[in-house]
Amino acid sequence: MPEPRTSVPAADRAALMMQLVPYLIGKGEVPVVEAAADFDVSPQRMRELVRRLTVIGLPGDGGFWQLPNDLFDIDWDLLEERDLIAITNSVGLERTPRLTAGEASALLAGLRVATALPGVGDSDLVRGLLAKLARGASATPPDVIVAPAPVDSVRETVDRALRERVAVSFTYKAPDAAATTRTVDPVKVHLANGQWYLQGWCHLRQAMRTFHLDRVSELSLTELPIEHGEEPVPALFEPGAEDLVARIRFPASIAMLLGDYLDRAEVSVEAGIATATMRVADEHSLRRLAARHGGAVEILEPAGARAAARRWALAGLEQYGV
Amino acid sequence: MASRDGVRSAPEERLVNLVVALMATEQGLTKETILGNVAGYREQREAGASKDALEKMFERDKESLRGLGIPIETIGDYADPDDLREARYRVPTAEYALPDDIAFSPAEVALLNLAGGVWSQSSMSADARSGLRKIRALGIAVDAPIIGYSPRVSLREPAFRPLQTAIEQCRVVRFGYLKPGDPAPRRRHVQPLALVEYEARWHVLGDDLDAGAERTFLLSRIAGEVELTRARFPEARREGAGERALAGLRAVAARQSAELQVRPGTEAELRLSRRGTRDGQRLHVPYVDAHILADELASYGPEVRVVAPAALRDEVVGRLRAAAQRNGGPDA
Repeated sequence: MPEPRTSVPAADRAALMMQLVPYLIGKGEVPVVEAAADFDVSPQRMRELVRRLTVIGLPGDGGFWQLPNDLFDIDWDLLEERDLIAITNSVGLERTPRLTAGEASALLAGLRVATALPGVGDSDLVRGLLAKLARGASATPPDVIVAPAPVDSVRETVDRALRERVAVSFTYKAPDAAATTRTVDPVKVHLANGQWYLQGWCHLRQAMRTFHLDRVSELSLTELPIEHGEEPVPALFEPGAEDLVARIRFPASIAMLLGDYLDRAEVSVEAGIATATMRVADEHSLRRLAARHGGAVEILEPAGARAAARRWALAGLEQYGV
Repeated sequence: MASRDGVRSAPEERLVNLVVALMATEQGLTKETILGNVAGYREQREAGASKDALEKMFERDKESLRGLGIPIETIGDYADPDDLREARYRVPTAEYALPDDIAFSPAEVALLNLAGGVWSQSSMSADARSGLRKIRALGIAVDAPIIGYSPRVSLREPAFRPLQTAIEQCRVVRFGYLKPGDPAPRRRHVQPLALVEYEARWHVLGDDLDAGAERTFLLSRIAGEVELTRARFPEARREGAGERALAGLRAVAARQSAELQVRPGTEAELRLSRRGTRDGQRLHVPYVDAHILADELASYGPEVRVVAPAALRDEVVGRLRAAAQRNGGPDA
């Protein structure tokens, strides 16, 4: 869960308090930890928010300070003794605020991504939701659109296997390795950067594995019911134990173009030149990286990977007789 | 906490106090009433803050709240609408709150939960979560989560957030744009209309004010800060812009095709064949941007050879040559 960002602007903290009131009224009585989780803040921060709420209220009248009834109040005993929040007096803000244009936009775009998946949500449901989100926003949400990735028969078959809870069997061609035949209990389909991945229990490896769907062919449903659907699923890109440590150098200005490569890298920048140390699965991916960036990326270590990258580019050039 | 002890209260308390006060009034409150009575302003006035400073604070607060989507209505002098000295301010509940007749079914909330989860760590993720919280606060039951899928959209480009804000506020922006092959970024002056992710890259569609035409820009080529200017454009320009941008990108891809020779059984074949059409030994792959396709084709090294167009072939050759040189040994 994202911990509170270091310096949240006052306006965002105010927005949080305005959301908190209808939430607390709706809940009646809610444990601090639960409210904290729902609002993406620490329990300590939630307690502080609730305490702050009790100094907020209607303006005093004609130079007098507010009376207790003019302020929000909570059940203090409940908070101090049982770490529960319950509002005992409210002076406004009971209704849920409209979505901001940004909130509506984030949900609308996400909705389009979700509904491009095979079998998720029927179109009437989606149409209704799109209209409600637009109407529930305080201003016209900016158009943010994610073009749906094409769905082919491999993806549709995986979707059927997930629904029917049966294993699939397919040929798998890992990068720069020989093809293998796998039988897999499907658990989850990930979509990241336009790429589809299937996670599931691999009968061959007797463990949870991730398969890039573009590398899958001759996929078919089996009659084997899923047996290992409940095993813990690793994160999508978890570094394996056999990983290689590499060091690369590139102009800091292109860091954004390296994308996920730098997600787990240690990067230092000097005079506009960045040096990154990271773990990679194998040397092959480095030679592809170097060729892709056409001289902007230099492989420093391991030496074998640097030599392989040079050979790779030269072999490519040879095809053109240059 | 101890806002009554003459200690300056937290600014968020003042903002929320202001909203409570402005929602509780039908006829609106004058600035004078607000500065003298609403907690947060009142303490500062009593502590000797100048009228000017307080008024500026009030103006800033109004802007902050409008930025949160809170509608602050100004009721002017009927005789002279431009005279704001006697203006009254209020927040109409009907425009503040989610309309009563908007309800979400349990199936809809389950779908929204999946939709809100697509943004990995980014400003969009915070927005989606905040929006979901508001919807959940309506106290709706939720269907079992939609399992089996975990879609994620990544968003690394720092230009995204300012462009999104600019679109929302219909503000003209300026940014430096570095086209491949250009020695330095060129300043662009753009009315941004929509953000579109196509083939895992973010684009912004906008009116290029210097070129006098609609253009699509890649966010990854925006160099430096996106500057929001004071100039605004009519919201009507935004209508249908997202679909227009998408259609535009698809039309470009339909027009441009690379003719490739791909070695069977390789990574290149795996990645390219799904996107292209086969013609004997050749693969025809549509593309939007020659430089981006050249990056990808170069990465395949000896697995693919560009037959046509010649410009694409030259781009790939250039990359391979530079990569070989950069990663040479001491004697290379």
